[in-house]
Amino acid sequence: MKRKSGLSPLFWFGVGYLVLLVIFAIVGPNMRHPFDVKVGGPFLYPSDQFWFGTDEQGRDIFARLAYGARTSLVIGLVVQSIAVTVGLIVGVASVYAPKWISIPIQRFTDGMFAFPDLLLAIMIVGVFQMGVGPVIIGLSFTAWPAMARLVKNQIATLKDREFVVAAQAMGAKTPYLVIKHILPHLWGVILAVMMVDVAATILAESTLSFLGIGVQPPEPSWGQMIAVGNLNKNSYPLMLLWPCLILSLTIFALNFVGDGLRALVDPKKNQAI
Amino acid sequence: MSDVALTQNRSRAKFWSFARPILLRLLYGLVSLLFISLITFVADEIAPGDAATARAGEKASLAQVEKLREEMGLNRPWPIRYVEFLGNASRLEFGETTVGVPTPINKLLAESLPISMKIAVMAICLAAFFGILFGTIAAIRENKLADRGILSFSTLGVTIPNYVLLPILVYVFALQLDVLPTSYELPNRQVAPEIFYLIIPVVVLALRPMATLTRLMRASMVDTLKQEFVRLSVAKGTPPFRLYAVHCFRNALIPVLTAIGTSFGYLLTGSFVVETAYLVKGIGFLAIDAITKKDTPLILATTLVTGFLFIVVNLLVDLVLPMVDPRIRESQV
Repeated sequence: MKRKSGLSPLFWFGVGYLVLLVIFAIVGPNMRHPFDVKVGGPFLYPSDQFWFGTDEQGRDIFARLAYGARTSLVIGLVVQSIAVTVGLIVGVASVYAPKWISIPIQRFTDGMFAFPDLLLAIMIVGVFQMGVGPVIIGLSFTAWPAMARLVKNQIATLKDREFVVAAQAMGAKTPYLVIKHILPHLWGVILAVMMVDVAATILAESTLSFLGIGVQPPEPSWGQMIAVGNLNKNSYPLMLLWPCLILSLTIFALNFVGDGLRALVDPKKNQAI
Repeated sequence: MSDVALTQNRSRAKFWSFARPILLRLLYGLVSLLFISLITFVADEIAPGDAATARAGEKASLAQVEKLREEMGLNRPWPIRYVEFLGNASRLEFGETTVGVPTPINKLLAESLPISMKIAVMAICLAAFFGILFGTIAAIRENKLADRGILSFSTLGVTIPNYVLLPILVYVFALQLDVLPTSYELPNRQVAPEIFYLIIPVVVLALRPMATLTRLMRASMVDTLKQEFVRLSVAKGTPPFRLYAVHCFRNALIPVLTAIGTSFGYLLTGSFVVETAYLVKGIGFLAIDAITKKDTPLILATTLVTGFLFIVVNLLVDLVLPMVDPRIRESQV
């Protein structure tokens, strides 16, 4: 199934939503109440004082969502930056490094796929202390192999193209070749995949926080707010609704933007799966 | 060389080319299990506090803790204890829990594994049945209304996380409509068939694999329908139902079968969430409980068991595939 060329309205919806979310994450925490201070009675409905209502301890849900947005976005971006850096180094090394380096690296990368990601992350986060730092370490550790495989496959298709072979024939050394001729072709694909992977990272982070082993209270995060909302859903369903809504919309938006970018960069691979 | 020797040689070569990828896969799996248990073990060494401090409780004096540590053999260097642990684990002896009343871990595993397996098997059957059904319908009605509907539904299924879906389903079906129970473990659980308590966790767990299988089945069926032999049998006047059910279905099914195996990994991690949120005392619940309590032997045991299950299931898929698809059988020879 081929999509029409050009960017879909969904892509622009995604971009618009993400811009709003970033503004929300930057400005939001400072414009309302502090996230961990009781500012009103518990379970208040939305009003002009508490825009999204208050939670079980009388804290402003709007402020907590904004802080949660900040936490999620920071974790998503930091983890993916680490994953891209490691993935690039490993991917390039597994193609261009001498055999005694590249073969062990490839085997190790393959080995990382033999175990479910999130399970590994849960174990890593579980045995360290819980909190933002360990979550970043655990998720980065499981995120890089996919990026390394992507880089390796992309380089494998570029390696034998005429311009690369020509540069090699003219005596270009490997580092020069990689930086000047290979990498410029990779950024688009990496950016597109990174968008979708940031969504996956945010989901993983909320899963950990939902399970109570990720971001620790009183620091707010969406996953933890969903867990608390889940306990209070009978008396006050709004507390469950807000974080679920904002999380789902964020995941949708990142996927739409990722798909759109992917279609832009790589029109051939633009299929339903 | 005689004919017999030649055939023998050939059949041996055939066996190896068939067995090699599977053995390699098993080796990778075992190595990664070792690696993961090592990470868990070492990380636990780095983290402050150990099993002895946990067992002794908060009020114990340093001398008491030290004595306990000696009794439990924790004062020996960690590589020795790690090797010892591996030896015990290979004999399926995981020892006792260190937090609270010491309980044999084997007993906990024996209590929690059956319910997890039950949910996982039901979820995968549900996902496979509806995934294949919807995928086939979508492919036959490509780009029509039914196809569009199924595709957008499956997009939803892939993106909505299970910890968002589960509370919503419980809210609607248990709290508002009052037709399903609010959790698996209820204090005053009425006598109702157990299936009643499993509906919500199974559906939540099945939704995501169902969505991926739908998409895969659709893509695979669309590809199959474009092939020459389909046009030929249409030209020969094969009735549509026979065409889809007999000629295309089996061909389209192969990539989907592989995906059923890989989605088992998702089911494992999904069960952590679903079991914790719906209070099903399965292995996922046990693992998360162990992590929050810092019960190292239990964490190690649950990690190894879930990892082992994952590897075994993927191995089974690798073994079953060549039986279904003669092309794979041929290509491996």
